[in-house]
Amino acid sequence: MPLKKFTQQQQSDLAGYCRTNELHEDLQVRRERVHHYRRLVFNVVNDSLQSAFPLTKNLLEDKIWDQLVHQFFSAYKPQSPQVWKMPGEFYEWFSESEQPLRGEFPFIDELLQFEWMEVVLFMMEDIPYPESQKEGNWMDSTIATNPEFRIIQTNYPVHLRKAATIQDADKGDYFILMFREKDTGRIQFMDLSPFFAVVVDNIAHGADLRSVLLALQEQMPQTSLLELQENTIPLLEKLKDKGFITGFKE
Amino acid sequence: MKKQIGIGFRKDFAEDFLSGNSLQPTFIELAPENWMGIGGYWKKILQEVAEKYPITSHGLSLSIGSPEDIDRDFLKQVKNFIKTYNIQIYSEHLSYSKCDNAHLYDLLPIPFREDAVHHISKRIREVQDFLGMKLAIENVSYYTPVAAEMSEIEFINAIVDESDCNLLLDVNNVYVNAFNHQYDAKEFIQKLPLNKVAYIHMAGHEQVEPDLIIDTHGQDIIDPVYELFDFTTQLIQPVPVLLERDFNIPELDHLQAEMDHLEYITDKNWKKLYATEKIHTATTV
Ligand SMILES: [Fe+2]
Repeated sequence: MPLKKFTQQQQSDLAGYCRTNELHEDLQVRRERVHHYRRLVFNVVNDSLQSAFPLTKNLLEDKIWDQLVHQFFSAYKPQSPQVWKMPGEFYEWFSESEQPLRGEFPFIDELLQFEWMEVVLFMMEDIPYPESQKEGNWMDSTIATNPEFRIIQTNYPVHLRKAATIQDADKGDYFILMFREKDTGRIQFMDLSPFFAVVVDNIAHGADLRSVLLALQEQMPQTSLLELQENTIPLLEKLKDKGFITGFKE
Repeated sequence: MKKQIGIGFRKDFAEDFLSGNSLQPTFIELAPENWMGIGGYWKKILQEVAEKYPITSHGLSLSIGSPEDIDRDFLKQVKNFIKTYNIQIYSEHLSYSKCDNAHLYDLLPIPFREDAVHHISKRIREVQDFLGMKLAIENVSYYTPVAAEMSEIEFINAIVDESDCNLLLDVNNVYVNAFNHQYDAKEFIQKLPLNKVAYIHMAGHEQVEPDLIIDTHGQDIIDPVYELFDFTTQLIQPVPVLLERDFNIPELDHLQAEMDHLEYITDKNWKKLYATEKIHTATTV
């Protein structure tokens, strides 16, 4: 015997009430108690979003934040059975929906993206590190990098400034390298110049430094390869100290 | 069966737990949803825990009471997790947490109705067939019945009978429900299919209104619940017993003291039965 329409409807009405706060008059429950379910469900969703997006939560007034969570939960149907992944769905929903908050905080999507990327990197499954040796030649060896990384591009310095202080004048081209430290699992992030972002992105995808710099040099004929090399290698040394560059292959 | 007193593993106390020895469970319980498909810091912790302790699992998102179909992809992941960590008990709540294709991440009460019994029993069988092991279904706390046409005890019995699943008996939940819906807790326990109990949960709760208790897992176990546990353990064979503490987590030696008290009661009632009773928690379907 399949589930009857009536039973199904009762379940749907109760779940719908928890998500939207709209109580259907046909729902057969104890009215004075059913609100606890709405409260409990809302708390779980709210807690999970707050822990994923502490900076965004901090930026917004409590009332605005609560409205946003409510709006999300009533409009959107979370698909992941793993609650820690739900904030990623929130971020996607937010970036695809009309949000007047963007008027006041034009960087809010990028802030959410930055915060969500930190969660993704912290939680994601381990990726095997490439084999590498400590010593090598920057220009001619293949550089081995931490495989657990992302580079994101933003128009606002959400990684450098307290969100509430970011202004229109800060608008620019920002690149953020984020990676997971091998031993501690902690997430590091670093601001990269547009030039260096191209270098890092390419070497992280297996290109050797010489060919990356030669390609870049073609776009800046006034600069010599040697100059580029001298500017780049200290930055790479720094990435090696920080554990993003793990060594050299062969 | 050997004596087994476990603790619900929480990220909040993971570090203290692993670095000290004030908490000494014989096993730990995890929600697969929080630990599968992850890497990095928590994966290392998971591996460390798995090396030291046997693991039982207590799911959150299977949503056995959902009107819609079982999520096979999700179940596949759970199966994998169970296999990887050699998990002997997979338990879930007799409730629903997904409806109209939306996860709610909390436990909603199922209508106690005939058609729901058949529907859910079929789903439990499907899960058991897929996993190749029995599911232990937990009696949940609920704050309002939903369009009920039978009692809670009739509902649970009908499902256990029709699906041939095991029962995770949450003694605190019986206490909470007896208080909230004004029935006799001991009588309720006596009417349960006690030969199917494969696992016991114990926890604290919070009274929020004169006639309403919420099952928060945020307080100590209260004496009447210990007493109900004492009563229950006299009626059943030894099974693993778990302390659940999800919020408001005290010092770990405080949790150990609660576990010691549970052990004291189980020793009193089960000592003669330990080792003579064959393990029936890991029965294959
Ligand atoms: Fe429980």
